[in-house]
Amino acid sequence: MKKKLEFKNFSIYFDQYLFISISLLSVLGLFFLYSASQGDSNTVIKQSIFVGFGLVLMFILSQPDPDFYKIFSSLFLLIAILLMFATMIFGREINGAKRWLDLGFFTLQTSEIIKIALPIFLASYLYNKPLPISLKHTFITLTLICFIFYLVYSQPDLGTGLVVFMAGVYILFLAGLSWKFIFTSFGLIILSMPFLWNNFLEPFQRQRILTFINPSNDPYGSSWNITQSKIAIGSGGMNGKGYLDGSQANLNFLPEAETDFIFAVIAEEFGFIGICILLSFFFFILLRCIYLAFNARDRFCRLTIGGLSLVFASTLFINLGMVVGIMPVVGMPMPFISKGGSSLLSFYIAFGIIISMATHKKLMQK
Amino acid sequence: MIDIDERYVEKKSFFNRLLVVYIFFGIAFSFFLYQTYSLQISEYTNYESASIKNKTKEVLVQPVRGIIYDRNGNIIVKNVPTYDLILKPSQVISIENFLNSISEIIDFNESEFDYIKENFAAKASLNRELVIKKDLSMEEIAKFEVRSYRFPYAFIDVRYSRINNYPHLFSHAVGYVGGVNNEEIENILRNQDLAQIETIFKYSNGFQIGKTGLENTYDDSLRGKFGKKVYQVDATGRLLKEEEYIKPISGEDLFTSLDIEAQKVAYNQMNNRRGAVVAIEIDTGAIVSYVSTPSFSTNAISNGISSNAFNSLIKDINKPFFDRASQGRYSPASTIKPAIGLFGIEKNIIDWNFSMKDPGFFVLPEDQRVYRGWREGGHGNVNLNKAIIVSSNTFFFSLAYKSDINELINHLSNFGFGKNVCIDCFNPDNGLLPTPEWKMNNLNFGWFKGDTVNLGVGQGYLSATPLQLAYYSMILANHGISQNLSFVNKNKEKKKQKINIENINDQDWNKIHSSMIGVIDSPIGTAKRLQKLKKFKVAAKSGTVELVSTDTKEDYKIIRKNEGNRDHAIIIAFGPMPNPKYAVSVVVENGESGGSVAGPVAIAVLNNLLEK
Repeated sequence: MKKKLEFKNFSIYFDQYLFISISLLSVLGLFFLYSASQGDSNTVIKQSIFVGFGLVLMFILSQPDPDFYKIFSSLFLLIAILLMFATMIFGREINGAKRWLDLGFFTLQTSEIIKIALPIFLASYLYNKPLPISLKHTFITLTLICFIFYLVYSQPDLGTGLVVFMAGVYILFLAGLSWKFIFTSFGLIILSMPFLWNNFLEPFQRQRILTFINPSNDPYGSSWNITQSKIAIGSGGMNGKGYLDGSQANLNFLPEAETDFIFAVIAEEFGFIGICILLSFFFFILLRCIYLAFNARDRFCRLTIGGLSLVFASTLFINLGMVVGIMPVVGMPMPFISKGGSSLLSFYIAFGIIISMATHKKLMQK
Repeated sequence: MIDIDERYVEKKSFFNRLLVVYIFFGIAFSFFLYQTYSLQISEYTNYESASIKNKTKEVLVQPVRGIIYDRNGNIIVKNVPTYDLILKPSQVISIENFLNSISEIIDFNESEFDYIKENFAAKASLNRELVIKKDLSMEEIAKFEVRSYRFPYAFIDVRYSRINNYPHLFSHAVGYVGGVNNEEIENILRNQDLAQIETIFKYSNGFQIGKTGLENTYDDSLRGKFGKKVYQVDATGRLLKEEEYIKPISGEDLFTSLDIEAQKVAYNQMNNRRGAVVAIEIDTGAIVSYVSTPSFSTNAISNGISSNAFNSLIKDINKPFFDRASQGRYSPASTIKPAIGLFGIEKNIIDWNFSMKDPGFFVLPEDQRVYRGWREGGHGNVNLNKAIIVSSNTFFFSLAYKSDINELINHLSNFGFGKNVCIDCFNPDNGLLPTPEWKMNNLNFGWFKGDTVNLGVGQGYLSATPLQLAYYSMILANHGISQNLSFVNKNKEKKKQKINIENINDQDWNKIHSSMIGVIDSPIGTAKRLQKLKKFKVAAKSGTVELVSTDTKEDYKIIRKNEGNRDHAIIIAFGPMPNPKYAVSVVVENGESGGSVAGPVAIAVLNNLLEK
């Protein structure tokens, strides 16, 4: 394995395992999107431009030294927060949600940026704190996490909000949050559930969670999505109905087939065997991230790799869990597969930074 | 900054914690994989059928109803395709506005307007279509089509009208069809494994099932089977393409034994008087003529009628809907006498030589009650032959008086009294063959000897339908061989059977026949007026059903001022003798004289049947 290719005076930082698997996944994604969009080549062309651009971005972002990210992490977070505020003011409203900032050439979902910026900032904030993390730092960190969660949540975007929240908590946990604090706060959270339910959730969010708990409540209302998704997945069977032959997706029974529910399209057309093969790519990427984290040069890199890979893992799991009906429908794209530029680019950025963290070694440490 | 020692601790803690998180995700992913496995593998068949159900929509295709023929292959009832203007009432907000604008294009008469207004609300609430104008002309179709954008909830489509070529002749025999109700269509579809409840409302539109007569009794085979078109649909319910077409199976044609010409003769002879005519082919038990008058137009009932017209039919005191042929109950009166005579012979109470004096009345020894004959002074000495020819009541009073009531009831039951004699008649009445038990249970009186005496002349509680009388006539004609009546020659349920009557030989039957021939041919016969009318040798027995009991002719003249009190005229006949082919029964309500009022109808029908 070569992590560093030397060309005369400058080096190129590159992890071929991640690069190849992510590229393959992206190409598969385009292939699936063609079917999910019912053969709309415009959608696929637009998405492939993002894929191409994203792969290049990933490569570029893996070149700077981790210290660059460490030093500028507060700046990144500040920009991300400002973008969030800008969205709040200038954002484009779609279906009652203000999540997108129109940049002319590109509509940016700003929460996707903060999803990356927060873990890096927290890693740089916590990497030099003694173990276990003191109560003071824990509270500072949690306050920041909650503030950013609230920014995203108020758009409203519960799904991304949860990922942002979880991303922050992962870093705090990996950085050495005291177990005493963990158990105490866990107890408090459980006790405060009813309060959160009544005061923080929008009625439609409560409805979604309720229909998740009891789907037979309302077959053609809020659980229509999940019912149709289950039919699509279940009717795929072992071998699937064949590429472009999924009736649930092609006849519009499956809602959000190009974005949140694209997994259902894949499961319908390629069956259990197909999704097992697809998921093995994701597992490979995650296992590679563990390996890279273990071999990272310092605590900052470890925390960043661990945190960003867990953002990836939780996004994937929330999407999959939602599509098969074991989690509430919160609106979450499938990484590298679903249509949507911002989410796609955010993961290229994340993996670019992961590769940077993993491939730069400090000679003096040997 | 943390120092070098701590770095080792930190690294170890990080690894442990990362593993904890990954193990958590591992468990979550296993749960996800398990869920996917159960969806795709364990519950595959459920979800597969759910997916097929999602994307397909079955549209039922109605079968065309079978045609009904007479025995000569002439069409009685057919289906006529017409282009009809059809409205979806549930979508129309104001029927008044709609009618105002549609009548600018297409002419409607008052009764059509009434029909639409009367049926609009009911059809709208059931989400059914309403045919607002039948049988559009090409010009009307063209006029509507170019302006159809103004009427989004109306359209023109082909619908079949059930047309009886002789709408008044077969009102009761063939009956009529009508719209199907939800329960009926559900049953029909379930029997065909087509239980698509939600489509029932939509696709049962215009579907008709038999409501009465043969249309009802043979509905199963006339109706045919629904076909279906299976379409692929998208989530919005749009029909995308036809995937499968199972053609409907048209209903089977029904070849009846009815004879249109004989039916016409019977109907015209009845001349709208209240009554019924039934004629049977003796060899087969097939009903060739079946008329109940007055009648009504089955076409009007089958294809839509305004409620005014319908109400006037319902309220008509002559009850045109009432099927007198198989539901009207009449005392057989004197027509019963041949059967009573045979009973006397069978039980050796009398023989052909036995004779007695008929003073014109019979006195019941028990209570001295007087039972009168129809002719004052009586008929002198009468034997069985003469008693039938002149219709002597005294002879049969006295014969019945000597009979055992239970044996007599048993004997009459052999001739079809008190039971259903028809395989495929619509809702036939069994008449009444009274028994002592019946009288005790229903009237709370014991059986009197006088009841038996009355039975001897076919009066009292005994009643029969014209259909049963025709059956009885057929058995008399056929030397005691019975078979159930039917409108279809090939009916498998028919079988010939000698009735359970012993001690009666062909000679006895021939003697009964010659007595019944004498009813017409003898100068003293009660139906001698028919001699001029008949073209063949016919055996007959007339009867006069007393509705009000009177002692003298003067009394009768008083009560007959009310038409409803007048006697019913009744006759049974068969011919040609000596080898009869057809048996007939005729009842003319309040017709007074069996021989001269009912008789000519029976003779005309027999003449028509035999002349072919």
